[in-house]
Amino acid sequence: MSSVTQIAPTPVAPVVPRKIGRRRRVHKLGWNLLGLLVLAVMVFPVYWMVATAFKPGQQILSYTPQWFPTSPTLSNFRDAIDQPFFWNAVKNSLIIVSAVVALSVVLAFLASLALAKFHFYGRKAFIVLILGVQMVPLAALIIPLYILMSRLGQIDKLTGVIAMYLTFVLPFTVWTMRGFLLGIPKELEEAAMVDGATRFGAFVRVLLPLVGPGLVATSIFAFIQAWNEFIIAYVFLHTPEKQTLMVWLASFTTLRGTDWGPLMAGATLSALPVVVFFLLVQRRIAFGLTAGAVRG
Amino acid sequence: MKARLLVVAVLAAMLAVAATTASGGTSKAQAGKIVVWLQNDAQNGWPEAVALASRTFKAQHPDVDVDVQYQSWGTHLQKFDAGLVGGDAPDVIELGNTEMTKYMAAGAFKSLTQSAFPNNKTWLQGLKGSCQYNGKLYGVPYYAGARAVIYRKDQYKAAGIKSTPKSFAQFLADGKKLMKKYGKKDGGYSAIYFPGKYWYFAMSVVYDYGGKIAVRSGGKWKGTLNSPQALQALNQVKTMFKSLTRASKTTDEANPQQALVFAKGKVGSFVGNGWEWPYALDEKLGDPSLAPVVGAYPMPSHTAGKFMPTFLGGSDLAVPVTTKNQSLAVDWIKAFTSTAAESEIAKAGNIANTTKLLAFNASNPKLAPFARAAKYSWFVPTSPNWANVENANVLQDMLVKIATGRASVKAAANSASSQITRILNTGA
Amino acid sequence: MASVAESEFPLASRRRRRFTRQTVGRALAPYALLAPAATAIGVILGYPLYLLVKMSFEKYGLFELIRHKGRWVGTANYASILHDGQFWHVLLRTILFTVVNVTLTMVLGTAIALLLLQVSRWLRIAITTGLVLVWSMPVIVAVDIWRWMVDYEFGVANWTLTKLHIVNFIRHDWFANPWTGFAVITALIVWGAIPFITITVYAALAQVPQELLEAAAIDGAKPWAVFREVTLPLLMPIFVILTSLSIIWDFQVFQQIWVMLDFRPTSDYYTMAIYAFHQSFQISEYGLGASIAVVMVLFMFLATLVYLRQMLRTGEVR
Repeated sequence: MSSVTQIAPTPVAPVVPRKIGRRRRVHKLGWNLLGLLVLAVMVFPVYWMVATAFKPGQQILSYTPQWFPTSPTLSNFRDAIDQPFFWNAVKNSLIIVSAVVALSVVLAFLASLALAKFHFYGRKAFIVLILGVQMVPLAALIIPLYILMSRLGQIDKLTGVIAMYLTFVLPFTVWTMRGFLLGIPKELEEAAMVDGATRFGAFVRVLLPLVGPGLVATSIFAFIQAWNEFIIAYVFLHTPEKQTLMVWLASFTTLRGTDWGPLMAGATLSALPVVVFFLLVQRRIAFGLTAGAVRG
Repeated sequence: MKARLLVVAVLAAMLAVAATTASGGTSKAQAGKIVVWLQNDAQNGWPEAVALASRTFKAQHPDVDVDVQYQSWGTHLQKFDAGLVGGDAPDVIELGNTEMTKYMAAGAFKSLTQSAFPNNKTWLQGLKGSCQYNGKLYGVPYYAGARAVIYRKDQYKAAGIKSTPKSFAQFLADGKKLMKKYGKKDGGYSAIYFPGKYWYFAMSVVYDYGGKIAVRSGGKWKGTLNSPQALQALNQVKTMFKSLTRASKTTDEANPQQALVFAKGKVGSFVGNGWEWPYALDEKLGDPSLAPVVGAYPMPSHTAGKFMPTFLGGSDLAVPVTTKNQSLAVDWIKAFTSTAAESEIAKAGNIANTTKLLAFNASNPKLAPFARAAKYSWFVPTSPNWANVENANVLQDMLVKIATGRASVKAAANSASSQITRILNTGA
Repeated sequence: MASVAESEFPLASRRRRRFTRQTVGRALAPYALLAPAATAIGVILGYPLYLLVKMSFEKYGLFELIRHKGRWVGTANYASILHDGQFWHVLLRTILFTVVNVTLTMVLGTAIALLLLQVSRWLRIAITTGLVLVWSMPVIVAVDIWRWMVDYEFGVANWTLTKLHIVNFIRHDWFANPWTGFAVITALIVWGAIPFITITVYAALAQVPQELLEAAAIDGAKPWAVFREVTLPLLMPIFVILTSLSIIWDFQVFQQIWVMLDFRPTSDYYTMAIYAFHQSFQISEYGLGASIAVVMVLFMFLATLVYLRQMLRTGEVR
């Protein structure tokens, strides 16, 4: 059933393995050097954040910036954690994010299946709606959203925030998942239909591993959007016990300017869960790679 | 089949979530609790005052909880607007004194009886003015800040400045001496650290020369930054930008915090609030070793023997109109503005809301210069639209244009004045 | 989709008895799949969007906000913005800003994704981890770090450029001139946007079946031709999506400029989102702010219309 060209053995002239090997190795070295440069440039600001978190205050405000914290200190981290409601903020952020990621991945996968694989009345309208909804500037929506949430009794409630984040994340995740589904070569789909399974069964068993990388990418997106959001959390959550980490981070900036050391320490701590989440799921991207190779 | 079950399960989950949220009632203010919004300066700056107020309040009303929620300056008004429209604004809110008029004019606050509050007969005039609208009282003065010159005594001495200047002209001349002594060797030295967007100080010079930001005549406002007196003052400001300072022309006094830049040693003086003196000596961020050589004096006026008027910044406390606990809110404010609580606030380097405590400040050499400076103050035009002028950055725009040389003093002042006229008169 | 039906039921004869029930089921299936997501979006955004459009036709200032009631003024808000000279300046500036940012983001993001395919495995993991680290930084913190790096007094950027003797940048004010100011902001935004583009494109590249690539290579095609003939067509849907999303996001950029300029950008730094925010929250004219938002949406619709049509067409082919 596969339309993939048969790999027929073609007679090739004998090549000198060593020459090709060396050229390939030089190429690889060149790519690796470029890769290292890209890595260094991209990661530098993150490094600067972490380095600043370990520097004592005097070294931070210095006319000669120090590349490396020569006398690293944990005092900024201690100050950050001592800032009231830190652990509450961690808990709230984790609850909100878990709910948003779980719900959005499931809902987006289902919805994108409908958009990519079916013809139905209202399909185009929904696609346009999905795109249109993302065009509305959030700042303009705050007052109308507040009016709605107030009527639903969702002010100062985590569920209200989860619902709002879901609506902001869904359009994008549905949109992207649809793209991934469309990008799967038809042959692979058809190959899976052969064994006479029902359509849905085939979809789930065949497509799910193929769009694994897509699911991972969109779940990371959902995680980060929900984790890093500030203005909704700030306006809709009032009691300090309900604060999220981003709102907590904002308390480091007062009329007296910004307290850099503890802010960077707090920011470093806030970034950890995202990195952990990514490291847990990043293997699926590799799985997607091999899945493509094994087929056929 | 499996997938269909999945769909049903998800729908069920969503219904469950909806059900739980529907059953949770609105957490509007009930008699058992009041909500207070203070800015986060109180959280780190004078937590004892807040604790004291809540203790006093609790003693009066043992069955009522006080929930103090701290806000950040950049975004607190958005949250307040949302609370007003949703009906769940706090019972007590702190607002900057320049923000008050706009909300008072819109009817956002309950009117209050002055005689109910402690020390009301000796409230600082500058703050009291920001709490009144159309003859009624809508707020209670909370605290103020006055600015004075904080300087390096050792650098003054080394530059041959024998005593603190008694006139503005002498201040400028002293500045030149400092630049000569230190500025030649170090291209980053500033005799006075004066960032481009520092309008509080720039406008002090304007008011000193007899200029005003705007005047009201015949029911209409008119921007007057292009009056001859104001122009004269702005030209002095330009001189300072050009020859006495190496501060950034596009930042303000808090980013970077000017006291901390001062602590790095390349600054001879800066115009700051009372709390900026100890902040420069902060052990983590400043330079505690400078303690013996730092002093302060009120900025002298261009008329010898007088002081330059200082901007009386500060905050007020108000009771939003949506509250269901007005008398409880008033009681909390009374507790927070009591002499005891205000003393704690004054100890943190602020100016308390009553002239009674000015004496307390005056007896403390670290606070005395600021208390003296507070006697001569200026305030922004008391128009409901003033907050919009601030939000449109009209003054900062003008000063940055002057500092960077992108426009002449006259052109920048003309543009600013017409903008101010337009904004202050909207909806009139 | 008729072809799917045939291949789906090769033993159609045996299943014909249950055909009717399955037809109905199949017809309802997409709606059932769509329902949860559609409900979530509809419930939360439906009423607020209606309110937003309604407010754009009302005078809704602080006075009206407290009384929960706007005053109908018809198209007065729209007339006032369209006649405001500043509106057109800001619109032009935002368009230019969006074009530059989206182009840089897509080109660099895709380039790095392709680079990921060429480097050794350990470096690939290191780079993707680094990208996620960048992606995971909250916008507020990222802006704070960049502002710190280009700080006038203590910034590492000025110090490094001077040390490397490229140019004397001690006390160089990056924001005195809007061009250099926007250069810094663009660098920040592109830097923050690359991880997402790269990871998504890389995931899409990972879905390209190896044997197709190998087959083309064996046939003697050069790497660039392989990319153009095999990879690019498969990647097209993703590219189109990412570009249109980037346009939508970059057009609405707010926080980076807002925080970078200490919550008080001067008017020559205004983009549409800042202008809208200024008109709503800062001067409390929510009606005006709403009308600007509506104009922004219409504009973005026009800008992405080309992509939208192509998108819908791509769906048809399948």
